[in-house]
Amino acid sequence: MEPASGLRLDHNHHLSLREFPYIIRWRDDRCKRCGKCTAVCPVKAIEATVKVQRLVKSEGPVPTPAAVRNITHIVEQVTDMERYCTGCGTCTLVCPNEAIEPEFNPQNKFLHYKNKGGDGYKRGGRRNDPALSTLDRLKFTRISMLTDPALDAGRHEFRVRSLLGRILPPEDLPLKLVNGKLTVDKAGIFIPPVREIFPIMIGSMSIGALSPPMWEGLAMGVAYLNEVEGLPVVMCSGEGGMSPRLLRSKYLKYFIIQIASGYFGWDEIVHALPHMVEDPAAIEIKYGQGAKPGDGGLLMAQKVLKLIAKIRGVPQFVDLASPPTHQTKYSIEEAVAKMIQSMSMAFGFRVPVYPKISGTKTARAVLNNLARNPYAAALCIDGEDGGTGAAYNVSMDKMGHPIASNLRECYLDLVRQGKQNELPLIAAGGIGKKGNLAANAAALIMLGASGVAIGKYIMQAAADCFGDEYNRCNLCNTGKCPRGITTQDPKLYRRLDSDRVAERVVEVFKAADVELRKLFAPMGRSTELPIGMSDGLSIDDPAMAERLGINYAC
Amino acid sequence: MRAKKTVKNQKSKMNSGTTNVVTIKGKVSGKRVSSKILEAQIQHSVQEGARELHIIADGQHGIGGRIWPRGEAIKITVEGPVGQRCGSMGMSGTEILVKNSVSDDVGWINCGAKITVLGDVTNGAWNAAAQGTLYVQGGGGARCDTMTKHNPRFEPPQSWYFRNVGDSFAEFKAGGIAVVCGVNPRNHENILGYRPCVGMVGGTIYFRGPIQGYSEKDVNLLDLTGQDWEWLKTNMKPYLEAIDRMEHYKELTRSANDWKKFIAYTPQEKRARKWFKMSTSDFRKNLWEKAVGQGGIFAEYLDHELTLLPYITTGGDRRNKPVWANEKYAPPCAYACPTHIPSHKRASLIRQGKLSEALELVLQYSPLPATVCGQICPNLCMQSCTRGRLDKPLNIDKLGKLALDLPAPKKAAPTGHKIAVIGGGPAGMSTAWQLALKGHTIYLYESADKLGGKIEQCIPRERLPHEILEKEISRFRELGITLHLNTKVTKEKFDEIYKSHEVVIIAIGAHQPRKIAFPGSEDIVSAYDFLKDINSGKHPDLKGKKVVVIGAGNVGMDVCSEAFNYGSESVTAVDIQKPAAFGAEMEIAKGKGTQVAWPRLTEKYDAKNKKLHFKDGSSMDADFVVMSIGDVPQIDFLPQGIHSERGWIKVNDNYQTSDVKVFAIGDVTGLGLITHAIGHGRLAAENIHYLVSHAPRFPEIKQVIPYERIKTEYYDVCKGDFSPEAEANKCMSCATCRDCRMCETTCYWGAISRVEHKDGSYEYVVDENLCIGCGFCAGICPCGVWEMTENI
Repeated sequence: MEPASGLRLDHNHHLSLREFPYIIRWRDDRCKRCGKCTAVCPVKAIEATVKVQRLVKSEGPVPTPAAVRNITHIVEQVTDMERYCTGCGTCTLVCPNEAIEPEFNPQNKFLHYKNKGGDGYKRGGRRNDPALSTLDRLKFTRISMLTDPALDAGRHEFRVRSLLGRILPPEDLPLKLVNGKLTVDKAGIFIPPVREIFPIMIGSMSIGALSPPMWEGLAMGVAYLNEVEGLPVVMCSGEGGMSPRLLRSKYLKYFIIQIASGYFGWDEIVHALPHMVEDPAAIEIKYGQGAKPGDGGLLMAQKVLKLIAKIRGVPQFVDLASPPTHQTKYSIEEAVAKMIQSMSMAFGFRVPVYPKISGTKTARAVLNNLARNPYAAALCIDGEDGGTGAAYNVSMDKMGHPIASNLRECYLDLVRQGKQNELPLIAAGGIGKKGNLAANAAALIMLGASGVAIGKYIMQAAADCFGDEYNRCNLCNTGKCPRGITTQDPKLYRRLDSDRVAERVVEVFKAADVELRKLFAPMGRSTELPIGMSDGLSIDDPAMAERLGINYAC
Repeated sequence: MRAKKTVKNQKSKMNSGTTNVVTIKGKVSGKRVSSKILEAQIQHSVQEGARELHIIADGQHGIGGRIWPRGEAIKITVEGPVGQRCGSMGMSGTEILVKNSVSDDVGWINCGAKITVLGDVTNGAWNAAAQGTLYVQGGGGARCDTMTKHNPRFEPPQSWYFRNVGDSFAEFKAGGIAVVCGVNPRNHENILGYRPCVGMVGGTIYFRGPIQGYSEKDVNLLDLTGQDWEWLKTNMKPYLEAIDRMEHYKELTRSANDWKKFIAYTPQEKRARKWFKMSTSDFRKNLWEKAVGQGGIFAEYLDHELTLLPYITTGGDRRNKPVWANEKYAPPCAYACPTHIPSHKRASLIRQGKLSEALELVLQYSPLPATVCGQICPNLCMQSCTRGRLDKPLNIDKLGKLALDLPAPKKAAPTGHKIAVIGGGPAGMSTAWQLALKGHTIYLYESADKLGGKIEQCIPRERLPHEILEKEISRFRELGITLHLNTKVTKEKFDEIYKSHEVVIIAIGAHQPRKIAFPGSEDIVSAYDFLKDINSGKHPDLKGKKVVVIGAGNVGMDVCSEAFNYGSESVTAVDIQKPAAFGAEMEIAKGKGTQVAWPRLTEKYDAKNKKLHFKDGSSMDADFVVMSIGDVPQIDFLPQGIHSERGWIKVNDNYQTSDVKVFAIGDVTGLGLITHAIGHGRLAAENIHYLVSHAPRFPEIKQVIPYERIKTEYYDVCKGDFSPEAEANKCMSCATCRDCRMCETTCYWGAISRVEHKDGSYEYVVDENLCIGCGFCAGICPCGVWEMTENI
């Protein structure tokens, strides 16, 4: 049809503000028009504009009409879907007069419109589901109350530690008696490398996905926890290579290096191998990501600046695709065995090597394969509530498997094989989603995890990430992160103080350590982690209780 | 008070007189007395006046406690195996002497009893004691002195241990004084056990001897003060006497330096404590960067300062910056006009009081402003005028008409370039005018005897008074263009022109009426001939006739109007599709009574019966039929090197034909409005000017400014009559600064200022060090001049 003339003010195909996920509440009576809000808005969803009011006044004793025109400059939200308000609230943060804030609009029809150009909506963050997750519904209901000695987390000293790496069963231990003394006989026997770690680790977030100060802040916090606090927290590099300076430093031992289908930065890592003074904590082989199973990664060309190009070993300003599958792997048997072999060999079989998969109904098949592989050090399963820097919304919202039952069935499979103490399971995806980091971690541990990995939680807790399950902000994929966490734009990431990130990492992990004790001590556990101690768990839903093989309590 | 001499089921003695002494046995006839009964016996004895009790215990619980004060001392001597919680809840006035070691929790919640144990106390001794004294001749077990209190109504409790104490000593101690003498300890390395003082919040612990760690977050390890030492020396004596160890007095009071004390940190001290053992900044400096290198793990790849930025930044750190993009974009009027006549500039000049300069401006763009802009143009400028969003467009037509009486502008100095223009219609006149103004020498060839082309020949005089056209043609002639009227260009003539000029512009229009052949079509007149005849004075007689016009375009409408002018009874325009006519042509024709019928596909014309038959079987009375389905150019004179397509000369975006020195403009390239012909003429002239000046580039056409950027809110709905001044004020000056200083006043940071140059021009500039890139200037600029760009 013939379009209406541009001259005519018509509203055909103009969206109303009601369709938008966040509506800006701006207060004329408070605003001083300093422009700070419009200057910081990462998506230019608000702008200054002009409004006119026309009033007729009649002040005399008889009708004495006088028209008064009043022009005002206001801050207005635009109704362009490409510049929708993400609700991040940076405007609120900088407003000196508390004159502006975005308000969530539960009636929004955002997803009806966010498909311009025929492409699906892409974003960062994680599944937009503000409901309580299974993890948050799990309760610790077996309290050692007179039946057996309870511990006091406040006064009893005990260590919350886990093991990363394959643990040989007692009968396989190369021990023998020599002159009445127990000695280790290593000859001809492969003793898998094992690391003692804090059971909560920082999961894989790449250099590139994260800004330099964010990544370095996390790394420094991890090093601090190990060096100063004696808390052996480890962190995974993500698939973006590693800083050569870090590879060559003594702190490498606190880092798990990830290899994924893009193999970014691996030639630089290989070049650095002879210069390494420490082995890394482990090698993680990424096969999938909980947030977007079967969906690959893409680092947009505009984010591939000098730093990223150098560290990843690629030219600047090119799109970096990390496909959802590895090109050289064709079956579980072949793929996993081959990768674990290669990576173990690279580090002289001194470093635990384990695969990470996204939560899936088929996780048990992978696990059963690993159980038979003497070099497999663990299995990491990343559940549907995991986060990501960029994915299709449909992948994030609708693809994936919740971690709780996935982890549980894997653990019970190990139990059936009598191998539950041999092959550690690492759980990830939505841990701390509602802020209950220690409780979620403890619940997963008691369902059978040896450790958990966190990502989004630490971004929120350590760097004040605005993102939430109401799709607030979630701009990670655009490079416009207003907190400077997931951007390569120095103008944005220089807002972020890596010292402060490190400080918060230290606080978060120290607090988690305290809280884990608060949970484990009343259950009478002190010297070892209550892995798989499912009789301590309950849930208020009989079907979930049955599925997880735990108590139903109400 | 009198005491009973005997108590049932046991042998007891009570001396009569001042002291009543009773012996109570915990085992009678080989049978153990229950704790309950023993307690009843003790309480009863005291009730009966016993003041000295001798108890031979057999593991009974809680012996000696809960004897409420009677203003005199109750002395209890205990021997034999003592049960747990000896003296628990003991009250002041009670003195308990245990002649051997005791079981757990001696002195539990003690409220004033003085307990002396001539042996060891085991676990939990003095737990939750609040008053009284515990003298221990030996050592203590685990968790001694835990949860002790000091109630301000009473003296604090004291506990004295001669040897050492076990693990978890003084946990959560909240008051009282503990003394651990460390004589002959059973653990020589550590006299306070593992992790003493966890959670201790009050009281004092004096100790003498080695320890291995304590709860550093709870208690402070200090030397004794003078008062401490005096207290210890004074109170040591009765303690040692009570436990019969006076021989150690000298050793224990030898030197204050042998002793240390623990006192709890105050809540204030705890709160003032730093959370971090080391700041993360110190960690970075002293550990991290020492290991990974100066500047951190990424420093070698970062090319910016390693400092923090605030959220609100200025200068190079802004994300966006404003640009005063004055005249970067075209206003909608100039953009819509095929000639790009800058009506906004005319308004601006009027606002500056330069009325004549303003009106002359249009002659730089068109030789026929009064004729075209003022009369026959549908005024695309006005159709797109931003003002139309508010009330009504500017009266650009009337402003154009005001240029009628102006003389021709001054020409530039002659360039010597010879350019031929074939065709003296609007396109040819336009391009000849432009090129002549630029100083080129122009030769114009026209087949008719008059200039003006179809304006002269076919536009009804009622739409264009002839004197306006004549006036403007005479001004055209002022430029000294060499005119060759009545010169039909043939193949040979074209060849001659081609050879003798640097550039040839073909602007011959379309003067060959299109006709569809059907039975009777030979009896039909073409619109071209019909209108041309009228304008040249041959008036048709249509009185009382029914006229049908085939083709209801704008030319068809002109035919309809003229038919009425010459007496038609009725005029009907038929078309095979929705009529394309619009604007003044249609309004005039319809105003006169023209009927329009569509869709009608003509089958034949029966001139005899005066009937026009259509393919759908219908017919229409038609005394006189005009066919108005457009004209086509006559281009058979063109050489083969100039390509045409379906009868129209093919040109590129610069109006250049396939022969680089030949240009074609106007209707010969496709039918258009007269304003298009004028526009082609000007734009082709621009291009040709560059070409012959050996600067073959083509002037850019500016992008149009989006309507949204013009802030119509500043303007009130207009009610006044036409005057050039009123029009000038109505003009919203789209994309062109109107120098209102709105930006300067609005900028909160004072970053914008107006700078005037020596030549009288001005600009608005931004102080980068003040601007935060908020975009207010761009958001509120009435003209949409300011725009925000990435600050890179």
